Amino acid sequence: MTGVALRRPAGPRFEPTRWAAWAFSALAAGTLLAMAVLFAVQSLPAWRHEGLGYLTGTTWFYRGELFGALPMIYGTVVVAAIALVLATPVALGAALFTGEFLGGRRRLWIKIPVELLAGVPSVVYGLLGLLLLREWIYRLLEPWDPLSGDTLLTGGVLLAVMILPTVMTLADDALRGVPASQRKAARGLGLTATEVAWRVSLPAARPGLVAAILLGLGRALGETIAVFLVIGRQDNRWPEPLWSLAPVTGAGQTLTTKLGGSETWIAYGDPLHWGAMVGLAVILLALVLSLSLAGGSLALAGRKGA
Amino acid sequence: MLRAGGVLLTMQPLRRLLALALAAAVAAPAAARIRVVGSTTVSPVVAAAARILREERGLQIVVDTLGGSSGGIAALGDGRAEVAMSSRPVLPSDRERYPGVRFREVEIGRDAVALAVSRDVWEGGVRAISRDQARAVYEGRVANWRELGGPDRRIVFFNKEPGRGTWEVFAHWLYGDSDLAPLVSLPEVGSNEEARNKTRSTPGSITQLSVAWVDGRAIAALAIVGDNGQLVRPSGPSLASGAYPLARSLLLVTDGEPAAETARLIDFLVGVRGQRLVAAHGYLPLSSGSAASP
Repeated sequence: MTGVALRRPAGPRFEPTRWAAWAFSALAAGTLLAMAVLFAVQSLPAWRHEGLGYLTGTTWFYRGELFGALPMIYGTVVVAAIALVLATPVALGAALFTGEFLGGRRRLWIKIPVELLAGVPSVVYGLLGLLLLREWIYRLLEPWDPLSGDTLLTGGVLLAVMILPTVMTLADDALRGVPASQRKAARGLGLTATEVAWRVSLPAARPGLVAAILLGLGRALGETIAVFLVIGRQDNRWPEPLWSLAPVTGAGQTLTTKLGGSETWIAYGDPLHWGAMVGLAVILLALVLSLSLAGGSLALAGRKGA
Repeated sequence: MLRAGGVLLTMQPLRRLLALALAAAVAAPAAARIRVVGSTTVSPVVAAAARILREERGLQIVVDTLGGSSGGIAALGDGRAEVAMSSRPVLPSDRERYPGVRFREVEIGRDAVALAVSRDVWEGGVRAISRDQARAVYEGRVANWRELGGPDRRIVFFNKEPGRGTWEVFAHWLYGDSDLAPLVSLPEVGSNEEARNKTRSTPGSITQLSVAWVDGRAIAALAIVGDNGQLVRPSGPSLASGAYPLARSLLLVTDGEPAAETARLIDFLVGVRGQRLVAAHGYLPLSSGSAASP
């Protein structure tokens, strides 16, 4: 009779952990979805008012009800691109050093401080940028007669410093994910350590490395306060001709710095103006989401391939 | 206090965390919190008053400058603050936006918006500016200090963000109504700190800045050339007489009659000690200006 009490009851068993996991996942996904829907609905007046011109217009003047977001999209893309171009080689180089050439515990001596850097609040980077970087860029650009040290370039360089730890530590993880047996086999075939790094580890870790770069790019796109302090926040800077360097050496505006400014407070309560501001958030959300999805699927593909 | 800190440091990390959480819970305010939001021009005075009232009366006053004057009025309208700090009057558009809020303004002092220039401009000989010149500079029709009798250097105009009380006063002076201000493309600055630091560190720069933030060394305030050609400096006498055109009231705004604790803060600021704080921060106390100004 006692054995019966120990037997599991028939039928589906109640598993609180599983239920909680489902509930929390649904909550996270639902929040994101609700946010996206809310933003999209609230931004409708702007799309109705401007049509596609909202994305292609180069003039933003709320007192005249003109809402063209292109200069801000341009600013966002340029700043993120500068950050990526500057940060990627350094980050990958550092990851190669820690992942390939520093074994075991010694690798942590570098990796842990770098991960601490990734956790420094962005306003701290912003203040450093304000104090040091603006002056430096101003002197660097002096031959081109810059108006001030607030430029898209300053924002890009600052962002490069900020995303460097993220990209580096993720790239290091990707390189460590390459099985040691592959390296040993390559060394056994007579390849030098450098050749192993270039011919074996880097190609094998490529999806992970790309994911690391894309995640860094995602952070660069979404960063607000640090860029806010050094970019100058100048509206309606659209390059003529498109490839001239003038806008890069001058002040500009990104999607996030516009949203972080006081105009958000003015817009509140006016459906059209508010819609135009929220629309910027929609554009940003779309940019970051597509990048995260690309990064995630690449990382997944990498894991399958390994 | 010191001993408690020592004990905290010797605890295990997890326990330390728990102890800190517990301490935070115990220290949670028993009294009602007063949230004061708005203008960075008004905030130094209110923050100083808040510190004194916290020590003397145990009042919990949180001062925040998110979004400037317009941000403060929006916060008051949405019920996210008990008091808004504003360096511009409550506009009809604010009342329209928040029909349920009975805006009530209390003046705690007066301030002037200076047109502040970097040291090299001042030393290069630019000491005053007229309204027409200011408009030409703001609209980009004059782009070099040479045209204003200064050094051969491009003009960097750090424009205060629209929505800031400082900008409203400036735009009102140039165009009569800030809604009539034309489209310009200028680098923008937000808080007074940012405006001051960027102007100080950028040769050839000018910005709209509360006089209390002009130190007279790294940045200097231009005099205004009046219609009859005389110079009006943004300082005590011309401020008190109302001669300086870019002057404004520093306001605390509440929704109807303030609650007892909020009223205590306002009474303190318009009282003798509060007015001393106003003067200590470089603004004009009520008594000196109220006799002359309407």
